[in-house]
Amino acid sequence: MRAGTANSAALELTGVTKRFGGLVAVDDVSLTVRPGERHILIGPNGAGKTTLFNCITGTFWPSSGQIRFFDVDVSRLAERDRARLGIGRTFQISNVLVELTVSENLILAVLGRDRRKWMMHKPFADLGAVADSVGTALATVRLDHRLNDPVASLSYGERKQLDLALALAMEPRALFLDEPCAGLAPSERQRVSQIIGELPDDITVVMIEHDMDIALRLAERVTVLHQGQVIFEGSPDEVETDTQVREVYFGSG
Amino acid sequence: MSFIIQTINGLSLAALLFLLSAGFTLTFGLMRVVNLAHGALYLIGGYVGLSVVWTTDNFWLGIVAGGFFVVVLAALIDRFLIRPTGENHLAQVLLTVGVAIVIADIALAIWGGDNLRVPTPEMLRGPIFLPGDIIYPRYRFVLILFGLAAAVIMWVLYRRTQIGAIVRAGVDDREMASALGININLLFALVFAVGAFLAGVAGVVGGAFLTLYPGVEWEILILALVVVIVGGLGSLEGAIVGSVIVGLIDAYGRWLMPEMSYFVIFAPMAVLLLVRPTGIFGQEH
Amino acid sequence: MPERGALTLIFVAALVATVPLFAGDFWVSLTIKILVLGLLALSVDLLLGHAGLLSLCHAAFFAMSAYTVAILQVRYGVPMLIAVPAGLAMGTLLALVFGVSVRTRGVYFILVTIALGFIVWGVTYRWASFTGGDNGITNVPYPAIGDFQITSMTAYFYVVLLVVLGCVLAYRTLVRSPFGLVLRGLKSSESRMRSLGYSPLRHLYVAFVLSGFMASLAGVLYIYFNRFVNPATAHFHISVEAVLMAILGGTGTILGPFLGSVVIMVLRNWVSGFFPYYMTLMGLVFIVTVLFAPNGIIGLVNSWRARRARRAKTTDAVGTEPEAQPRPQP
Repeated sequence: MRAGTANSAALELTGVTKRFGGLVAVDDVSLTVRPGERHILIGPNGAGKTTLFNCITGTFWPSSGQIRFFDVDVSRLAERDRARLGIGRTFQISNVLVELTVSENLILAVLGRDRRKWMMHKPFADLGAVADSVGTALATVRLDHRLNDPVASLSYGERKQLDLALALAMEPRALFLDEPCAGLAPSERQRVSQIIGELPDDITVVMIEHDMDIALRLAERVTVLHQGQVIFEGSPDEVETDTQVREVYFGSG
Repeated sequence: MSFIIQTINGLSLAALLFLLSAGFTLTFGLMRVVNLAHGALYLIGGYVGLSVVWTTDNFWLGIVAGGFFVVVLAALIDRFLIRPTGENHLAQVLLTVGVAIVIADIALAIWGGDNLRVPTPEMLRGPIFLPGDIIYPRYRFVLILFGLAAAVIMWVLYRRTQIGAIVRAGVDDREMASALGININLLFALVFAVGAFLAGVAGVVGGAFLTLYPGVEWEILILALVVVIVGGLGSLEGAIVGSVIVGLIDAYGRWLMPEMSYFVIFAPMAVLLLVRPTGIFGQEH
Repeated sequence: MPERGALTLIFVAALVATVPLFAGDFWVSLTIKILVLGLLALSVDLLLGHAGLLSLCHAAFFAMSAYTVAILQVRYGVPMLIAVPAGLAMGTLLALVFGVSVRTRGVYFILVTIALGFIVWGVTYRWASFTGGDNGITNVPYPAIGDFQITSMTAYFYVVLLVVLGCVLAYRTLVRSPFGLVLRGLKSSESRMRSLGYSPLRHLYVAFVLSGFMASLAGVLYIYFNRFVNPATAHFHISVEAVLMAILGGTGTILGPFLGSVVIMVLRNWVSGFFPYYMTLMGLVFIVTVLFAPNGIIGLVNSWRARRARRAKTTDAVGTEPEAQPRPQP
């Protein structure tokens, strides 16, 4: 693997391994993502994609190996500290605050990296500057018209959009999107992939996606994971012709 | 000398605590139901056993009657109160608190507020002479053997038999167990019944040396709670080890610092919580 | 300027303030109990209704501050101006220690708080040389600052009402603040909150301590009303009662815990006068509430209003009942 020179990589994984008891879910993964890159992670079910994501975002720590985020070693940082460094994520099954309203969700996302989350003497509704960030994030995912609605009234597709808006509202340096189109109707897939395509260039995007059309259209680099290991890394054009990838992923020889 | 006596004291309490916590912990392991009425089941089982001993003058019949009465009562509670709440475990906890309060109040109305001791048969009365010139109440010594036997039987049933394997499968993964064609509802009813039976038996057995009185349902439940928190909720081995730990600490605590004995039991629990919130044998659920 | 919600609370307090004008000492004293235990229930509901944690150890903080005040005043003759802050400090200190329980969740949290609560009960009961054991501490003096003494029930009633009103207004500010929103976020999804940069442990710990402080305040109000304290004050039953009040009235609301307190206290103090099975009644109220009205009285009222509004809308459309306008939901 090419050793990343200082401040060249947004994300740099070195020999990341995650074991659950006897099971090796992620096996010695090394990977580099440039700032601003659109990087897609593909692989069959059970390849360890989500586990790798969880290692990167800090849901749990890798069993061994190192994770550097903009030249900071985050391998042993708590999830909240990684979030504060600018790691934003979405979830495969939408994970939003269902008992709250859309705007309350987003206010919390904005406050996540802000000391005012400890404020006790002023209504959260009166935080002026926060409202602007909320509006921007909501406009990006095209949910403006739902600002004051309870999340419980949102469709599943809208919840996935809100999930993305939450990650955006915390103004991340990198976004980790876990199958943003999973479980959506074709028209909703279209909308979400458009939203992702229009994300600001300075945000690095790493995304797990099963839909190859969407994946290859958005990707600049593709990594293929199989049984916890990286079996391919290259451009979208190369991945379609790589025989090993075709074999494990497309199931044809 | 007093150290040895206190150790035996602790072990006899441990025997009682095991009877109580085994059912509590397995019910939780299998159904995720935290039955806070478990102490009230102990109380009512003890009282029913007491009345039976009073009328028949037969201690053993009292134990069996206390056990079976509680089985019937617990089955009714399970069927009509706990089952309707489905998987809402928070509601179930509250529900069982309400049930415990009602049972204890009814018991108060029937048996009154005095300390009542379950009379023991002739063969269990008097002292026993142990090696090293130790004189000890025969009843409490036999109780240790009884608890030990119960622990061994439960452990063998749980670890070495077909039915135990099924229960363990249910504890580990309910969906998987029912997918394998195991009748989960029957299994629940069985485990609940065994747990209730042990609680009822514990009431009679415990009532013979701790006496029965209003309020004992919470005092005894709290000790069982500490046992399962220390040992790990849902683990039979945890219940065994936890019972011994709590029984011994309680005995030494009452002996060395009687006024702080309550505190002494809970301190290790608090420390353990800091280090290992799921207890010694517990797993994340 | 206070807005509508706050004005409603002040209005309710003003209504309560008229109780001594038309009712005798029995009802004034009952109202004090309702307010004090309602405050305890409100402190429980900060955790239950907002953060989603069901604590069954709040009697411990309540009793800790009450015992501290009682022991300082009776045994050491410490004046109220020192005893009260000391009581609050001890109750809060206990909450700082018991706060370790926020490392656990769900039923584990419940079990751990029950066990912790029993420590305090056990100490009040067994450490007889210091706490007076079963007899407790009696003859706590009337509240007094220097020579100024409050001896009449009615005067103390107004003190309690003012303190509780202040507390309620502060509580209202708290739950509407970013901090309160964070608690509700944690109740909804901790994993999401963590990935947004929150530490559930820290926020829940602070909430636990604040809640313990409120319970201690209720304990201080209680001791100067009751003027004696015994282990029953620290018992699990009190913690259960506080939770029952919050659920019965409606969790996550401000008036709910006080409504629950009204029902329970009236049952306990009035009904028990002619019906001896008060505890059975309370257990049954508990069971019925959990099974049939998990959102409490306020939940029932809201759903009834929603139903009526829907019905009114349909009849409106037909035009048979033009006066049945649905009340706008606040």
